Amino acid sequence: MILLQAMSLTKRFGGLIAVKDVNFVLQSGEILGLIGPNGAGKTTLVNLITGYYAPNAGAILYREKKISGLKPHAINNMGIARTFQIVRIFHKLSVLDNVRSGLVDRRTRPPWKVALDSLVKNRETQVTGRFGEERAIQLLEFVGLTAYRHELAENLPYAYCKRLEIARALATAPKILLLDEPSAGLNPKEQNDQIGMIKSINGQGITILIIEHVMKVIMDISHRIMVLHYGEKIAEGTPEQIYKNEKVVEAYLGGEASAHH
Amino acid sequence: MNRRPVKLILIILGILIALALPFIIRDRYFQHLLVLSGIFIILTSSWNLLAGYTGLLNLGHAAFFGIGGYSSALFVLKLNLSPWIGLPLGGIVASIFGILLGIPSFRLSGPYLAITTIGFSEILRLVAMNWVSLTRGSLGLYGIPPLTPFNFSPNFSIKFVSEQNAYYVILVFVFLTLILLNKLIHSEFGISLKSMREDELGSQSIGIDTSRYKLTVFMISAFLAGFAGSFYAHYVRLISPEMLALSETFSILTMVMVGGLGTLFGPVVGAILLTFLSEGLRFFEDFVKIDIRFVIYGGLLMATILFMRNGIIGLFKGVGTSNEKQREVNE
Repeated sequence: MILLQAMSLTKRFGGLIAVKDVNFVLQSGEILGLIGPNGAGKTTLVNLITGYYAPNAGAILYREKKISGLKPHAINNMGIARTFQIVRIFHKLSVLDNVRSGLVDRRTRPPWKVALDSLVKNRETQVTGRFGEERAIQLLEFVGLTAYRHELAENLPYAYCKRLEIARALATAPKILLLDEPSAGLNPKEQNDQIGMIKSINGQGITILIIEHVMKVIMDISHRIMVLHYGEKIAEGTPEQIYKNEKVVEAYLGGEASAHH
Repeated sequence: MNRRPVKLILIILGILIALALPFIIRDRYFQHLLVLSGIFIILTSSWNLLAGYTGLLNLGHAAFFGIGGYSSALFVLKLNLSPWIGLPLGGIVASIFGILLGIPSFRLSGPYLAITTIGFSEILRLVAMNWVSLTRGSLGLYGIPPLTPFNFSPNFSIKFVSEQNAYYVILVFVFLTLILLNKLIHSEFGISLKSMREDELGSQSIGIDTSRYKLTVFMISAFLAGFAGSFYAHYVRLISPEMLALSETFSILTMVMVGGLGTLFGPVVGAILLTFLSEGLRFFEDFVKIDIRFVIYGGLLMATILFMRNGIIGLFKGVGTSNEKQREVNE
């Protein structure tokens, strides 16, 4: 089943075309890898899907409904969560509160209703009470950060920040998770843990689109891989097919030479 | 570990002291300062909700205070409404202006928002200054009726002209404000605000409609500030465009920073301390013949930023080293 579909997606920044006429589909339950040299437009594509950018042309459909043009919060409310290339966790909040914030039900309630509920409802039934603590701890358990739950997020080492951001994204109960370089800056041991974790998230039925520079990671976990180069999709296929694809090899190896032009 | 009981005892002790205070301090002038402190507690707490918890640096907060004061006074003077109706009406009018100031905050943040908010309050101050037919301009409004007495029977009524009775009224409103804010802050609403303060784009990624949350929090904050302004108008019974001045906002800012930004009781401590301090300094001014108040305020602000970033409340909470305590500071 097609969960997400991008049709002729184009994004321009002034004279620069960051994403050019890209078509792809995300099948329910798969892990789709997104690779490409620096500046290929990978993060731009994620920003387009999650509403941080509006496309100049083309459309994005989620469950056959158009989502391009919606705001980031609305897209998250529909069930698409993301992480950022440079983590955007809440530094001065505790690890637990970072996850709790993701647990708040904002799908059905406007802010004034959330505020009103905060005044009239028993705190224990809210995510800031015991109810939320239990669920937040489950998620922290999953990413292996339970021991740090009372620590401020800013005190965590970088690898843990990345995991915390994943736990926070999972707290919003997404159907699709977009991971922007989850392994960047991690050592090989941490990368291995990360692979296991991502596979396990996928095992829970969450569809994943992952941007990754570390080839070992992307080849290991992706069911399919899509390659971007200068904003255009140049290849798509299984990891084996991509490995052998001449265009891809050229983009990566010849990319150094063409960068001088 | 045993923080909860200790906290509870401190709170109960605080309530008891607050209730007994007019009997301990018999001097009417000091009782007057207590009432002013109460008004400032509501005002500073409302600013703290924006700046401390949501990260919206509003330097036009005095405008909400002034709008509340002016609109309530005008409702009562021109339409003969009861001052008791004027109180919430002042808050509601300020809240409507809160929407006006909330809209630019969708796209502006940090210093850009701060400059916009200064402009907002300055424009309104000039309106109050120049719309002479309505506001009497720089002369201000005087003869604003006080809160009308409660008449229980022909022989028994409670009047609110005395400092002591005004104190108990404002005390009730202070308690209500603190209970309201405590609930908001430690709830799903509060955690959303704090998330926005920490990272706006990050908070959007977990489904927070930052624009509408900002609008909501601006409305709540403006309501409280406007309410404080209305009470001020009916208590002091004389208001002028100075109520909307930038210096008023900086007084609020200093009180919150000195007490502890982003803490529930920081504004309480700051408001009481600086209200009494600034009045104490007024005597001192007679000696030195210059307006020394803001020199001291500026000095205090600098000292706070340099030596106690989390204010007076932060000093107490930072004593221990446990994570639990560290976390408290930032809640």
